[in-house]
Amino acid sequence: MLFPMKILVTAKRVEDPESKIKVKPDGTGIVPEGLKYKINPFDEIAVEEALRLVAKHKGETVVVSIGGKEVHEQLRHAMAMGVDRAVWVNHTGPLDQMAIAGLLKKVCEKEKPDMAILGKQSIDDDQNQVGQYMAEWLGWGQATFASKHESLDSDAEKSKTPALVVGADGKTVKVVREVDGGLGTVECTLPAVVTTDLRLNQPRYAPLPGIMKAKSKPIEELTPAGLGVDVAPKLTVLKMSAPAPRKAGIKVPDVATLMQKLKTEAKVI
Amino acid sequence: MSVGINRYKCDLRELQFVLLEQFSYAGLAGKAPYENWGEDELKAVLSETYRFAREVLGPLNSVGDREGVKMVNGAAVTPKGFREAWKGLYEGGFKQLAVPSKFGGQAAPEMLHVAVEEILSGANIAFNIYPGLAWGVGELLAECGTPAQIDAYVEKVFNGKWGGTMCLTEPHAGSDVGAVKTRAVKQADGRYKIQGTKIFISGGDHDMTENIIHLVLARVEGAPAGTKGISLFIVPKLKVNADGSSGESNDVALAAIEHKMGLNGSATCTLSFGENNNCYGELVGTAENIGMSQMFRMMNGARIAVGLQGLSLASSAYLNALEYARDRKQGPHFSKFKDPNAPRVAIIEHPDVRRMLLELKSTTEGIRALVVKLAMHRDYAIATKGKDDEKAAYHQGQVDLLTPLVKSYAGDEAYRLCGQAIQVYGGAGYLKDWPVEQYARDAKIFSIYEGTSHIQAMDLVGRKLGQHGGANFQAFMNDINVFVEAQRAHPAFGKEAEMLGRAAEAVTQLAMAMLGWSQAEKMDLLVLNANRFLTMMSQLSVGWLLLDAGVKAQAASIRLTKGNQESSFYEGKVASALWYARNVVAGIRAQADMAALEDDSAEKISDAAFGGS
Repeated sequence: MLFPMKILVTAKRVEDPESKIKVKPDGTGIVPEGLKYKINPFDEIAVEEALRLVAKHKGETVVVSIGGKEVHEQLRHAMAMGVDRAVWVNHTGPLDQMAIAGLLKKVCEKEKPDMAILGKQSIDDDQNQVGQYMAEWLGWGQATFASKHESLDSDAEKSKTPALVVGADGKTVKVVREVDGGLGTVECTLPAVVTTDLRLNQPRYAPLPGIMKAKSKPIEELTPAGLGVDVAPKLTVLKMSAPAPRKAGIKVPDVATLMQKLKTEAKVI
Repeated sequence: MSVGINRYKCDLRELQFVLLEQFSYAGLAGKAPYENWGEDELKAVLSETYRFAREVLGPLNSVGDREGVKMVNGAAVTPKGFREAWKGLYEGGFKQLAVPSKFGGQAAPEMLHVAVEEILSGANIAFNIYPGLAWGVGELLAECGTPAQIDAYVEKVFNGKWGGTMCLTEPHAGSDVGAVKTRAVKQADGRYKIQGTKIFISGGDHDMTENIIHLVLARVEGAPAGTKGISLFIVPKLKVNADGSSGESNDVALAAIEHKMGLNGSATCTLSFGENNNCYGELVGTAENIGMSQMFRMMNGARIAVGLQGLSLASSAYLNALEYARDRKQGPHFSKFKDPNAPRVAIIEHPDVRRMLLELKSTTEGIRALVVKLAMHRDYAIATKGKDDEKAAYHQGQVDLLTPLVKSYAGDEAYRLCGQAIQVYGGAGYLKDWPVEQYARDAKIFSIYEGTSHIQAMDLVGRKLGQHGGANFQAFMNDINVFVEAQRAHPAFGKEAEMLGRAAEAVTQLAMAMLGWSQAEKMDLLVLNANRFLTMMSQLSVGWLLLDAGVKAQAASIRLTKGNQESSFYEGKVASALWYARNVVAGIRAQADMAALEDDSAEKISDAAFGGS
């Protein structure tokens, strides 16, 4: 028999990589006007995996996001994909990875899921820290960079088979991870934190009936104060700047000149 | 996952402007019968549809064009990936968006439906024709079928379990539908035996569904001649068993698949009904000889869909050409054309390329506004029905009046604009490396199928202008006059509003002249000028709606800092409005002057004088 799973997933609101992102002239951040936002693509993979697990094992999925009212858009998107309900930690202002991990830890203590599945990082500032902090502070096992052996064109993917394998007793999870030079497998005792890599699955579209259903699914509001978490940033961003634009190339007449320039100007050989 | 590359582009910001800022979606949202449909749902649906379009349908567009549909062992085999796309389309609920909830759909407003259809069509028009026809069959049977027929067929063609077609054309009955020869012979059990050949049947056979429901125009023995003797029949590809499952063959044979200029992924079939005397159909509804009016319920929707197809390709052609023009460097700026060392510039910096791009931009935006306006009237016609009959009649009247404009102007312009997009690319656009040559080939059919442009023009001047004693046309002109009066003194658009007013007078004058011609038995002049009139009225509508958008965009941009993305968007709307007014609306009067010449040389010239041999 299969044991029902309660799975908590995250849905961070991030800038759509297709929008043109400009840094403010004073370097205090990016220009928000005209930007589009979406759910962090790694989190979307986490949502997909949770939905597949719950389709197999039964149980419940809960999605969490932290931010102002605008994160409802991402919570609704996850619920349109099929997540059952949402938790919104209402907070505006900067947050560092420790504050986020601290808030998620408290939400996990409150919700008591069997597994928390998060994106391995968010595509806005690519820190790749929250899942690790969270597991450590909760005293849970962790399996980062979850992936799978099967390709995204495989039959297993097409039939939406979950890649995470829960043990027959419902007390462990086996996770294939991306590691340098290949894949490795770890087994964790549940509850555990799993963070997702890119090739874990191909997230589904939010079906249009799902978008309508998501309207009536509940969003519970929490606050950092209510959760008892001090979110004052310990990490301060001093300045943001765009990468220097690429300089135009030059043509050299022959190999000798090229070698000479590589030595004296570029100083790479 | 997919084999090709997506080329489809759509500007969601522009779609949202038209729906939310120009035509008040908010006036419909959240109210009966659209209680569940708010702005958030609209935005979520558009962005998810666009994603599906880019990731699933778009990559299959060139695949369908190159592979085409093959006939294997008497059955049509669709291009690689189409079957999976069909499954994804219905699993995602994209095609059930506007289906009534009693048939398992989402009952969305028509305004949103047309925007979603623009995206689905634009990404892969050849593919989208198959589910589009199934949808049409569902809509027709929901309205004209008996309760038993509704039970048996409607939900299955709406949810993609079964496909559908409309079978009108025969070798000798194209535009002249009344010449249909397919025979229906009533049997003792009430069914009809069907025998005949139909050609040009889109989606006539394919491998994406287990069954296909054909709606076939045929003549019952002894029926009156012409369109008054035509009945409509439900003829499934496979006989439907008592339990609703698909059974044995119903003797509908695929005789051929056409080789076409474009839309190669769409199966255009010759179907042979009853070759073995074993093809049975049931009459739609309960009465014979009303097939034409039944079919026209499907035709009106289909005509709007053709307008949408034109819009969708022209718009993607524009956005692709725009991207290319920003990227491609060629020649110096014209101000430095004598300097051989001047830097090469992106071709978007050349004035004539800018002119072409702005024409593409403004015309597609104006056509989109026209399509959404029509959809808005449909929504309000439904929302006010039974509550305010006068309003409902006004809205329905505008739907009727604008349908031939949408079908024909969007359809005709699409081919011209796709050609213009190729011109922006230069030689590269003529190559299959870029999407625009396929767009142009795919777009040519829009001025032909579902009633040629001239049939639309005759529908407009022969039926729609005089409908309800001319009330629909008068209401339309009145709306324009109200706009002109309100904006005459506008600091940015006043002159253009005046120009629009004069163009409206010219259109009214020609309408009066046509009335005069028909009373003076000069029908040839009426027919010769019908297409011209349709074009003039379309340009007037588009010019009006673009100015309306420009006024709204300018007002919205005042609070924004110049140069950011949003203010650039609004600046673009203003430019579209001014360009179209000064370069197209300004020419409407000249067309009226031409019509006033009462030139009938095309009628007078003898056949021999056309020359040739």
